[in-house]
Amino acid sequence: MNAWLIAATALLFGLIPCAIVMLRGSPVEALVGLQMAGVLETVVLVLLAEGFHRPPFFDLALVLALLTLAGGLVFARMMERWV
Amino acid sequence: MSLVSIAVVVLLVFGVAVELACCLGVLVMDGAYNKLHFLGPAAIVGPLAIAAAVVVQESFSQAGIKALLTAGLLIVASPVLSHATARALYIRQRDHVEPELVGHLRRGLPTSGTGPDAAPVVGADMGGPGSDLGLGGRP
Repeated sequence: MNAWLIAATALLFGLIPCAIVMLRGSPVEALVGLQMAGVLETVVLVLLAEGFHRPPFFDLALVLALLTLAGGLVFARMMERWV
Repeated sequence: MSLVSIAVVVLLVFGVAVELACCLGVLVMDGAYNKLHFLGPAAIVGPLAIAAAVVVQESFSQAGIKALLTAGLLIVASPVLSHATARALYIRQRDHVEPELVGHLRRGLPTSGTGPDAAPVVGADMGGPGSDLGLGGRP
């Protein structure tokens, strides 16, 4: 286990506060928690790709960053009116 | 332990610490507006430090360039997402406050305020504080 994988494992603990905010907060607070979780997961995927020495896995992080942006915008737009 | 390894570990520790601190900030702060402030460092400082660690380790290879691309995408996306979320929260709060105002304005009564406890003021001037909303109230 190298430093990259240790960092990825440590970052996974950051998902716990995000989950608490998502479960207990208002809908907009839950959206903030979701966006924070998306950022965390993107960074974790970068760390895992480097930790396992698999450069193609960086594409997963890139795609997740794009999808986090798109999903966050859709959720924000939806919460303006319908939730 | 080489100089490169030390630099990588320092950058990783810094990036992970920033991310975890921002997670705790999101958990601890009250209100979505205050929580939103912690998305900025988490999406800018942390990914930049970790992408820098990858570049220090791998130089500008495929991995380094993709890590920088990912960090750049997060840096561009973070303000957009924060703005969209804050706008959604503002619109929700405005629409949740205004229904009582809207009712008063449609009945042609001025209101005593703009909060949720806003009540019609009978016998007062018809130009209430909410009458500029364009909802059919008297001028």
